[in-house]
Amino acid sequence: MYRYDAIDRAVLADRTAEFRDQVRRRLAGELTEDQFKPLRLMNGLYLQLHAYMLRVAVPYGSLNPVQMRALADIARRFDRGYGHFTTRTNIQFNWVKLDDAPDILDALAAVDLHAIQTSGNCIRNVTADPYAGAAADELEDPRVWCEAIRQWSSLHPEFSFLPRKFKIAVTASPHDRTAAKVHDIGLLLRRGRDGETGFEVIVGGGMGRTPYVGPTIRAYLPSDRLFSYLEAILRVYNRHGRRDNIYKARIKILVAALGAEAFAREVEAEWEKIGPEGDLPRAEIDRIGAAFTNPDFVADPASGDFEARRAAEPAFARFVRNNLKAHIRPGYGIVDISLKGIGETPGDISADQMDLVADLAERFGQGDIRSTHEQNLVLPHVRLEHVHEVWKALDAAGLATPNINLISDIIACPGLDYCALANARAICVAQDIARRFETPERAEAIGEFKIKISGCINACGHHHVGHIGILGVDKKGEEFYQLTLGGSGAEDAAVGKMLGPALPIDRVTDAVEAIVDAYLRERREGERFLDTLRRTGDAPFKEAVYAEAH
Amino acid sequence: MKALTANRLSDGEVVFWKDGTWVERLSEAQVFSDEAGAGEAEASARTQRTVVIDPYLIDLVDSAGFWAPVSYRERIRALGPTNHELHGKQAEGGGAVEALRQAHGAARSSGRVNLIRRK
Repeated sequence: MYRYDAIDRAVLADRTAEFRDQVRRRLAGELTEDQFKPLRLMNGLYLQLHAYMLRVAVPYGSLNPVQMRALADIARRFDRGYGHFTTRTNIQFNWVKLDDAPDILDALAAVDLHAIQTSGNCIRNVTADPYAGAAADELEDPRVWCEAIRQWSSLHPEFSFLPRKFKIAVTASPHDRTAAKVHDIGLLLRRGRDGETGFEVIVGGGMGRTPYVGPTIRAYLPSDRLFSYLEAILRVYNRHGRRDNIYKARIKILVAALGAEAFAREVEAEWEKIGPEGDLPRAEIDRIGAAFTNPDFVADPASGDFEARRAAEPAFARFVRNNLKAHIRPGYGIVDISLKGIGETPGDISADQMDLVADLAERFGQGDIRSTHEQNLVLPHVRLEHVHEVWKALDAAGLATPNINLISDIIACPGLDYCALANARAICVAQDIARRFETPERAEAIGEFKIKISGCINACGHHHVGHIGILGVDKKGEEFYQLTLGGSGAEDAAVGKMLGPALPIDRVTDAVEAIVDAYLRERREGERFLDTLRRTGDAPFKEAVYAEAH
Repeated sequence: MKALTANRLSDGEVVFWKDGTWVERLSEAQVFSDEAGAGEAEASARTQRTVVIDPYLIDLVDSAGFWAPVSYRERIRALGPTNHELHGKQAEGGGAVEALRQAHGAARSSGRVNLIRRK
């Protein structure tokens, strides 16, 4: 992982000192709320329903044990003993006091973390494949490019006041675990005909009230030309993006309005003007890459009693089936840690659990922890002979729910329980559905099934790309939920289609179960839910939901 | 009937107006039966810029002998998040909290749009 240098640390120290003074001036009445609000937002501090919320950037979802323990310490000292991982792979603290915020930023800076650019119309935290550096199907480690983008975009003077916020994802695997096609820019690492690596560049995806799967504007961009091309895209957006209407300000609206080909022509013309001078020298990329040193892998390590325990212990075997993924090196595995315990709040993690994850990463995971956009954690490098011990420790802490990619692995935004923008709750809907499908045998029989829930049309819960998407709406002050089917945030990205009239909260779980039952009736051998839906259309599901709703 | 609510500047806590000061429990809040009195209090509250952020009026209904916000959103503000029953004001329990939990209503808070704008 990248290590800060003296300049990075000095910048953070200055920034925190500046914010401490801004807080003092606000409390003293020297700044009005209108003056202070953009300053606090630039430091990740929002005002939610019950308290301030601090959103901490977790760069491309990568944390080390020291940082995780610092987050646990902040949770204990300044919050209520927990944190919440978000769909941007960041972590939020929901009960922050204004006068504590500078101290929290100091505590973050001490471990090379901050909350800069977690709000505002700037380039936000980059999403990386959470299995980066470990995935068996990876072309090369995308984190090097994510880190270069982080450095390039941090406090970038030209791109700090864009028409609207801006999100970039980078993946190097054919299986997209970043939702790249619904980002403002999705970068897919590809191998060129010359054997070199480059990027397929997707621009103008997004969710919110106008969802789009982004079009490819360049099939292959040599990797050494990435930064001039990014600059060209951002410059075209900065010039032509709408600033008169917040709902039409994202780049997806510009790309859709111009058309992908015309937008691409604008970018190419701008790119021509910028030229190679806008690119990072290879030596700089190599310097950044050197910070991502390979962990101390052992060549062909023994797998110990891994197979014997898997054969003897059904619960461990289930964990392995669902939460252990293939590693690029033999004898290792990628361990998914579910933050979706049945009946728990998706993405929430207690301070004690954070400490445990830090300990396990240190003892068994090469000191590497990842957060995922699906609100889970990952230990990317665990020797197979240690997986049983890791599982036992996670299980004792309530972190071994074997449900990765299954129906109870639900994304849910904070919704009306916390968020000042929400129309309806999302968490309790997720909890109720998870309880309904609690039996692991049933969940495994259903197979891959992604439910995503948002409490408003801003779509922080990614409902547009849920196999079942659930959107909370306000009908005369009461919570109702609109269901969509057929969305996907993966390589087969799609925006879900509305199924029918919104349902009251007490009918949502029944409706989900009716859809699942219809799928189980309709599916053919080897079909996922999405496959069946794409073959049959939504008629069987519509009938199932609305027949049972009456 | 109406009450006047805001978030406290220092910690974001949900607070309610009571005779020129702020209290944390809706059950202790001043209840306004007339528009003029409510408006006067709101105007006065808006001058307390180092104490609270964005005061606004909310509509109330009777629930089991207690006043409860009409809108679901305001009931959550007055109680705390429903996924953590030990967080927020609901942790205290008692009749006033139970009355809020049981309350029904079907209208938005009049201050909601302003709160969103301010967020």
